[in-house]
Amino acid sequence: MVLIGIIIVILVMAGVVGYYLTMPTGPAVKDTLVMGTTDSVESCLDPARAYDYFGFEITQSLGSALVDYRPGATGSIDDIVPALATNWTVSSDGLVWTFSLRHGVMYDDGTEFNATHVKYTFDRGIGIEDPDGAFVGVGYGDIIQSVTVVDKYTVRFNLKIPFAAFLSLMAFQASFIVDPKYAPMHGTSWNISDVVVYTEGNARASNPMGLGPYTLKNWTRTAGKDYQMRLEANPNYWNASAGLPKTKNLIIKFYADSTVLALAIQAQEIDVAFRQLGPTDINNMKTNANLHVWEGTGAFIQYLCLQEKYAPFNETKIRQAIGAAINRSTLVNTVFLGQAQKLYSMIPIGMGGHTDAFLNLGDPNYTRTTELLAEFGYNTTNKLTFTLWYETSGHYPQSAQQAQVLKSSLEASGVITVDLQGADWPAYRGKRQNEEMPAYILGWYPDYIDPDDYIYPFVHSSGGSWIHHNYDNPQMDQLIEWARGNTSATARNSLYSQIQNLMVTDAPIIPLYQGAAYAVTKLKVKGVYLDITQVWRHWLVYVEQ
Amino acid sequence: MTLRSYVISRILLTIPMILILLTMVFLVIRVLPGDPVLLHFEKNVDPDVIQAMRVRLGLDKPLWIQYFDYLFGLFRGDMGESMQDYSSIGQQIFSAFPATLELAIFSMIIATALGVVLGVQASKAYNRPQDHVIRIFGIVTYALPVFFLGMILQMSLGLGLHLLPVGQRFNPAMQTPVGLSIGSLHFSSGLYTIDSVLEGNMYKLVESLRYLCLPSLTLGLVLSGVFIRLTRSNMFETLRLDFVTAARARGLKENKVTYSYALRNAFLPVLTMMGLQFAALLGGAILTETTFSWPGLGRYIVDRINFRDYTAIQGAIIVFGIFVSVVSLVVDLLYAYLDPRIRL
Repeated sequence: MVLIGIIIVILVMAGVVGYYLTMPTGPAVKDTLVMGTTDSVESCLDPARAYDYFGFEITQSLGSALVDYRPGATGSIDDIVPALATNWTVSSDGLVWTFSLRHGVMYDDGTEFNATHVKYTFDRGIGIEDPDGAFVGVGYGDIIQSVTVVDKYTVRFNLKIPFAAFLSLMAFQASFIVDPKYAPMHGTSWNISDVVVYTEGNARASNPMGLGPYTLKNWTRTAGKDYQMRLEANPNYWNASAGLPKTKNLIIKFYADSTVLALAIQAQEIDVAFRQLGPTDINNMKTNANLHVWEGTGAFIQYLCLQEKYAPFNETKIRQAIGAAINRSTLVNTVFLGQAQKLYSMIPIGMGGHTDAFLNLGDPNYTRTTELLAEFGYNTTNKLTFTLWYETSGHYPQSAQQAQVLKSSLEASGVITVDLQGADWPAYRGKRQNEEMPAYILGWYPDYIDPDDYIYPFVHSSGGSWIHHNYDNPQMDQLIEWARGNTSATARNSLYSQIQNLMVTDAPIIPLYQGAAYAVTKLKVKGVYLDITQVWRHWLVYVEQ
Repeated sequence: MTLRSYVISRILLTIPMILILLTMVFLVIRVLPGDPVLLHFEKNVDPDVIQAMRVRLGLDKPLWIQYFDYLFGLFRGDMGESMQDYSSIGQQIFSAFPATLELAIFSMIIATALGVVLGVQASKAYNRPQDHVIRIFGIVTYALPVFFLGMILQMSLGLGLHLLPVGQRFNPAMQTPVGLSIGSLHFSSGLYTIDSVLEGNMYKLVESLRYLCLPSLTLGLVLSGVFIRLTRSNMFETLRLDFVTAARARGLKENKVTYSYALRNAFLPVLTMMGLQFAALLGGAILTETTFSWPGLGRYIVDRINFRDYTAIQGAIIVFGIFVSVVSLVVDLLYAYLDPRIRL
């Protein structure tokens, strides 16, 4: 038996040695880039339904929109550059946007792109009205009245309301133009069954686009989760003359968690690791001489919601007292090891209109907290007690640690007692819907890059209803609607300054931190841009020779 | 009872077992807090939209109608659609199952080989240093959390020595094994090792084995601890029985006495444990799959629970229950083969 075992081991070793001695060389490094991530496409790649970070990341590589953000964008309107549209105009009332389209643009199959495809895309997205998708989530149908074809290379959007962020919306991934051949209407009117979903073994049928720098060559899903994707350069890409994409082939590997992703990049099994690496891993890799850690502005924020439906947070001053007792430094340094920024506004740092409004409450200012709570009879012997909820299934980063730090911060005031309660994401969502949580932590990735997307969904009585914190201030609504419709950057900044000051006064939501964006690559990988748009520009990344 | 009637009766018994399992799972997951409908939209609170989604997912109907709808669907071979992304549950489960099966098979091979060989050696060296070393080895490997052992192997053999890949199932630079193709006929098992052999591609076979090494070694080491202790204790008792003494007295070689006579008698409890462990592995080794990003059934079930994907959870549990029954039947048949005294 032992002898048989020894023979087996020798045979296996001989096979392995023989393999290494005779194995064929792999593809040239310069032509192929391997990226690892823990993300996954949550539903599909159809802009009519896709409403998740990674679905958007792939959409950007397979399709194009009328406009785009330049690499290194800060979110300013000046960062928006032509893409499928070469120029545009807006009427004085802000209700009509006219785009002149680029000539000679071809889909990956050689079909010429024109204005009818733009109309088709938006009629389709609005018509399908998929409740899972961004068209409904963002409210395209509430903004766009109609899309008309003026001529072959001119398309016009007629809006229901003046919408200052319309260009940002056009750069948003849901606005990417589809190929009617791969996104057909199956009946006589648009229906939810027209959404293009993943088709096993047929990558082309799983992708309704075709104007982007890449084509989807292969897409493998196992048990409903992405396993691997292969993208190849689109020879008909409209910007190929600029040498794009820089890397011809792209392989994306999906990892189950950040630990194995970190190991994979350290073992040099992949060229790029992007989303989501833990703070400890990132700090460790900063000292790794074989790796480059890229850092950029993040657009992800987290915030504390206070339920105004019932006591104690139906009182404005109590909400202000909570805001004054938050110690963001501890949160950022202890939980995120300095890899986040203290946030004093719902509008992220770096975006037009941002002010550090909540710094007026203090960070922390326990004297103010004590004084405010004293008005309601709360003191060191009669503490304000409430339950702080956090989610436990990994939907947000380090949720339990955040909650613990917030608890410590609030209790350090001496007049507050916090009980912590966790629930996994489905239960957490249910409790939010049922308004069962007095205080709860949420997070936000932007849809379109504009202050409106950080304000309207949170403190407008209609737009913010999904938060279920029951905040309703007509003055706030009015300010937001003015800011939405005003195309003057100066005027908008002034309005958003007022909005943020009012948020401090009312304190319905307390901003906590803004995450930074990190990617780790091999040393020779170049072309990485991490900016506030959160766009991973696959087409710019390459391995230097 | 003949063998055929025994097998038929066991298969028929599987049906009520699956029905009971399904009913329990059906009720339990619906008691869990969290509504799968709400997970479809972050911001939409329109009651009509929510109700429309509820209708689409079949959750508007009374519980008993949902139950029988699902049951009748199963009889038609339809496991339903995912409540998260509307794709076929059957397709999702059976895309994950080959990975789980392959990991389970190779883990069991390692666990059994290590466990039996070391267990026999320990029994023969009872209370001597070799026995102590083997016992400590078995305890340590069994006590180590599987993800911790996995990380140690990843960091040493993967990151440190660059001998083996730290995760995933196959080399992304190569096309995955496609199995056997003859003209328009095509057969693929989904197990990359077997498909590589069928394809006749040595490189792919070695790559499959390279990627299998760490996860199966991790699981195999952890499981081997149990087999070591079982084999050791059973062999120790068996080696002291009269028939073994008689075999030795008749001049049979020690290896033949140990493996052909004693082990065959001592192996039955080990076989039971193998069956139980294999069935458990078929349900997915979630920690190992997560540690090595192995795309198996364990991760699938956990993901689906997090989405309250009722149809997916029900489907996965049913499949798991069926395979447990099959494995249990195979174990019983092997019993009869190993020990002719056992009559079915």
